[in-house]
Amino acid sequence: MSKKKEVITSGGVVVREKPLKLRIWNNRGYYIMFIPVLVFLIIIHYWPLLGIRYSFFDYYPGRQAPTYVGFKHFQSMFKTAAFWTSFKNTLELSVIKLIITTVSSVVVSIFLNEMGNLLAKKSLQTIIYLPHFMSWAVVASIFSLFLSPSSTGLVNGMLKSWGVIDPNGQGIYFLASKDWWRPIFYIINIWKETGWGTIIFLATLSGINPELYEAADIDGATRMQKIRYVTVPALMNTIITVLILNLAKVMNMFESVFVLYNSNVYDVSDVVSTYIYRQSFAVARPNYGYSTAVGLFKSLVGCFLVLVCNWASKKTRGRGII
Amino acid sequence: MAKEVSSKPKQKLHVFDIVNYIVFIIIGLCILVPIWKVLIDSLNRVGVYQFQLWPSQFTLDGYRTIIETTALYRPFINSIITTVLGTLLGLVLSTLGGYVLVQFDMPGRNFLAYLLLFTMIFSGGMIPEYLVMKKLGLVNSMWILVVKHGMNVYNLVLMRNFFEGIPASLYEAAKIDGCSPMGIFFKIVLPLSKAALASIGLMFAVTVWNDYSTVQIYITDPNQTNFQYKLRTMVMDGDTPTTSYNVSQTTLFNAGIIAAILPFMILYPFLQKYFVTGVNIGAVKE
Repeated sequence: MSKKKEVITSGGVVVREKPLKLRIWNNRGYYIMFIPVLVFLIIIHYWPLLGIRYSFFDYYPGRQAPTYVGFKHFQSMFKTAAFWTSFKNTLELSVIKLIITTVSSVVVSIFLNEMGNLLAKKSLQTIIYLPHFMSWAVVASIFSLFLSPSSTGLVNGMLKSWGVIDPNGQGIYFLASKDWWRPIFYIINIWKETGWGTIIFLATLSGINPELYEAADIDGATRMQKIRYVTVPALMNTIITVLILNLAKVMNMFESVFVLYNSNVYDVSDVVSTYIYRQSFAVARPNYGYSTAVGLFKSLVGCFLVLVCNWASKKTRGRGII
Repeated sequence: MAKEVSSKPKQKLHVFDIVNYIVFIIIGLCILVPIWKVLIDSLNRVGVYQFQLWPSQFTLDGYRTIIETTALYRPFINSIITTVLGTLLGLVLSTLGGYVLVQFDMPGRNFLAYLLLFTMIFSGGMIPEYLVMKKLGLVNSMWILVVKHGMNVYNLVLMRNFFEGIPASLYEAAKIDGCSPMGIFFKIVLPLSKAALASIGLMFAVTVWNDYSTVQIYITDPNQTNFQYKLRTMVMDGDTPTTSYNVSQTTLFNAGIIAAILPFMILYPFLQKYFVTGVNIGAVKE
């Protein structure tokens, strides 16, 4: 890589760098080993980039050859209310979800760290990590039964027996209610991801110098004061890192929404990816050109967010995320 | 006097600890209640809304129905095959890629690294990917799950981070002894990376086993779907298996959910430490 003619080996010996051709030849084994990776990389990531050109075409699959239409799809996209709804929902749902799951992970890890009994701590960790490994399909199934308005839904059944809602009435169909869908979505996310999120914070907490706590003890600090003045400041860097890393991914939201939403709640739940999915696979006459254009817009916004987060990361912790 | 001073903070400690334990018992219950409810309902002949510690009418007929429903066999076997092959392919690609990326004197190493990183920043999107898969004949085929999840740049970078921790002097010593790149890879790198192989392999396995959206997008043929997809159509779209037993529909749904998480739940307590290792490999550079 470097233009320098001399290199220093790990043993500290200065040797003349070999000519490029010889170095390539010497490394031939590594190039050959990279070929399988390259093949899959091209198939999965690079070949599809060619398909982006369809953003500028009318493309009705199986009907006619794609015809060039210029920026038509972008113009119609920016005029479509459903698209803007999905865009706003994506940002709102993923940012709020990110903030509340991070806050709950931080709080849980701080108090888990205060737990003296190791066995209790370990068993709790085992329990709270558990939901992370369940698929969204399973989680959606569990909660749709749990919240079901039918005679077997636990939440509706309890609300009825306590007289909060009319015992002979319909019950609340939580996942089909515009008022309830978002709170339920956030609660399910907290349930699923809080525990897993604590791992990285617990790792940071285990690295805090015990002398800091001893010094606080000598100053007569209470447990809460120690948390406030020692633990939380020590976590700040990790919290910022986690927020930045995840902020870069906010446009990717798909599966968690897809398994939980339905046509009654599109206004509050539809995100860009689910919008693209429906425009491509769930309409009578899909125009792949239009869905590709929406996908391109999504990728560009995502790309912008990654670069902003990378810049923020370099500013705050001196190291990029990419 | 001295005794009084020392006993006061201890009293406070005590209150804090008790509150802490109570809060965590509540948190633990919040996590477990929905899962326990599913488990108990799957063993109950009738569907009830109440939370029970033990089913009011114990039966295994729900599970008998699930086992006897032939429509569930294919998705289950497909899930196992794709999980095993996806994990293997994923490990092959991420170890090869990660290994090549730590060859710091290899010309073009940076280019390959950027080639990988670019995919984390920008992607073609759902339809361009769909069209490529269609050309490759992977639409409506369960092999899409293997191909799509086998190439995971994030896991490759994790693997690279792990390999970076292996002392370079080991490679150099082997090179001087005339060991080929492949020889070093198999004789030195892989044997030293068992923990990383286990934890990253598990990440691949969980991703493939749990995948739902790929099936939703790419697969319509019922013979090619996986178990998660089948389960969701069963529970959420009311596609109940027919049963010759006298059990409620709710019992069947719940038994299906348990069947989908059971393989993993059995292994989970033994594998937990490897998952945590995996997260910490990722965090090692923080």
